Amino acid sequence: MIRHAKETDLALFASGDASPWRSLCLRLHLGRCLQCREVAEAYRADREWLKEESSRMPPGVDWEHLAAEMTANIRVGLEAGECVAPRRRRRAGPRFRSRRMRLQLSFGWAAAAAAAGMMLLIGAALWLNFPPADKEVLGRAMSQLFHGRGIMESEESGPMVEASDSGIVLRGNGGSLKISQGELRPVAVSVSAQGSASARYVDDDTGQMTITSVYVQ
Amino acid sequence: MCSKWCFCVLAATAVSAQTPNGHIDIPKDAPVSMVSVDWGGSRATARGSAYLVDVHASLTLLNSSQKHIRGVTLEVLAQEVTPGGRGAVKVPSLDVAPRDVFSVHIDETLLRPLGGGATPIVEVRLDGILFDDLTFYGPDKLNSQREMTVWEMEARRDRKYFRTLLESAGRDGLQKAMLASLTRQSETPRTGMLQVVRGRATNVDPEREVQFAFLRMADEPIEPAAGMARVAANEAWAPRFEVRNISKRPVRHVEIGWIVKDQNGNQFLAASLPADLNLAPGQDARVFPDAAIKFPDRISIQSMSGFVSSVQFGDGSYWIPSRSSMEEPELRDVASPSPEEQRLARIYQKKGMDALIQELKKF
Repeated sequence: MIRHAKETDLALFASGDASPWRSLCLRLHLGRCLQCREVAEAYRADREWLKEESSRMPPGVDWEHLAAEMTANIRVGLEAGECVAPRRRRRAGPRFRSRRMRLQLSFGWAAAAAAAGMMLLIGAALWLNFPPADKEVLGRAMSQLFHGRGIMESEESGPMVEASDSGIVLRGNGGSLKISQGELRPVAVSVSAQGSASARYVDDDTGQMTITSVYVQ
Repeated sequence: MCSKWCFCVLAATAVSAQTPNGHIDIPKDAPVSMVSVDWGGSRATARGSAYLVDVHASLTLLNSSQKHIRGVTLEVLAQEVTPGGRGAVKVPSLDVAPRDVFSVHIDETLLRPLGGGATPIVEVRLDGILFDDLTFYGPDKLNSQREMTVWEMEARRDRKYFRTLLESAGRDGLQKAMLASLTRQSETPRTGMLQVVRGRATNVDPEREVQFAFLRMADEPIEPAAGMARVAANEAWAPRFEVRNISKRPVRHVEIGWIVKDQNGNQFLAASLPADLNLAPGQDARVFPDAAIKFPDRISIQSMSGFVSSVQFGDGSYWIPSRSSMEEPELRDVASPSPEEQRLARIYQKKGMDALIQELKKF
């Protein structure tokens, strides 16, 4: 009884994708097995048919006309792009590499660097000479921007008092006012919902308690 | 060239910083009279459209009354309307005998708009004086009578407690109590920063209603109930609660301590909520204090509680929590000690046990 070849091997043989050794073996087998030869022939015929069908254009389609239309559309798109961003088009073009353009570019970078340096210098000078309270307000605003929150999101609707371990601060209109008793640290701070804050200080020499309060209104 | 620059800097400093005109307003019929005043160190600096007035003054006053003075409140005024134009200096826990002199130190920073005259003016007015019989003198524009009376009652309560402790447990017992007080003061959770806002901040976080859990005290004359506030992340506003007068006397004023717990279980005494009432015995009232508080961003408000911190009756007398109520764990670790306890603890810390015992025996 003849042992038939696998269909996958026959399909590979028909397309010419089987290995040389496997092709030789299959060729010998097909010479004496009619059934396998018919299967291999069927695979080859299907392949030819597919090749012929895929190379044929759909009815009613003129390839030359289609290609011309596509080219025209691409050109229109490029021109429209140039109208919107002409500099980008120029920078991407071959003239970009010219000596004149390189000079212009290097001069542009130098000017930008000089401006950035100047801005940095002026910024540092302003920062160093800012009053501490204004510096704090600016710092808070920058921090809010950095953390992705708009200034308006956390801007208070009116003046407010702020109590912390170091004393009391009255804030309003973008400014702040710190109440302190020199080097003395408060032993306690408290706030009243009526809009006031108080800090308690004890004089170490006299033992006298002094409570300092500020009022929002 | 350098000298010109120095001259310019000195000239600019001289123009921008001035000594403010100080004025002390003590009525002629007042139970105190001014002996001397030293404005040394006070200065006003032009900043934007306002003067920043640093007031550093020392007043020496004479008790011209026949009673012991227990407390004084002075109003310090640079401008009455502008926020930051008004401050106050309060001195509780005094014991000034008749004809004795005493000093009050003022250290305030105030704002005064430019254009109100060539030289900025600072005015110091007497707002009130509390005597040892709890009578009061003064215009009381800052509600200082109520505040100073409560402080004086707390001072009497705490002095009595420490004196009793000294008699019953001796120096060692008093020392242990002082050390415990100092430890508690240093370990009291602090928020780092707390803002009291007039009107709500425009926070974009989702908001929710949070109910108050009230801490009850055995002898309190007011029963708080059904309190809640709106909360969004680190901000709380629009607190409201119902109170019932369970005493036999009409109530004129109540003050609620507002405690907030954060996401880590830390509790803070956020603010006091004062409310004027006219509440007959057995009557209920709803209270809506206009308040909004804001903690640092790292704090997320999880729950809230409250306690009645003082009550003023219709006849002008007061109720404050007893010492044993304040020793309850829920309050002891959160509420601030009285100004007098803080003062006594400081005396012990800086001057030792003998100085403390001497102070307790004074009055």
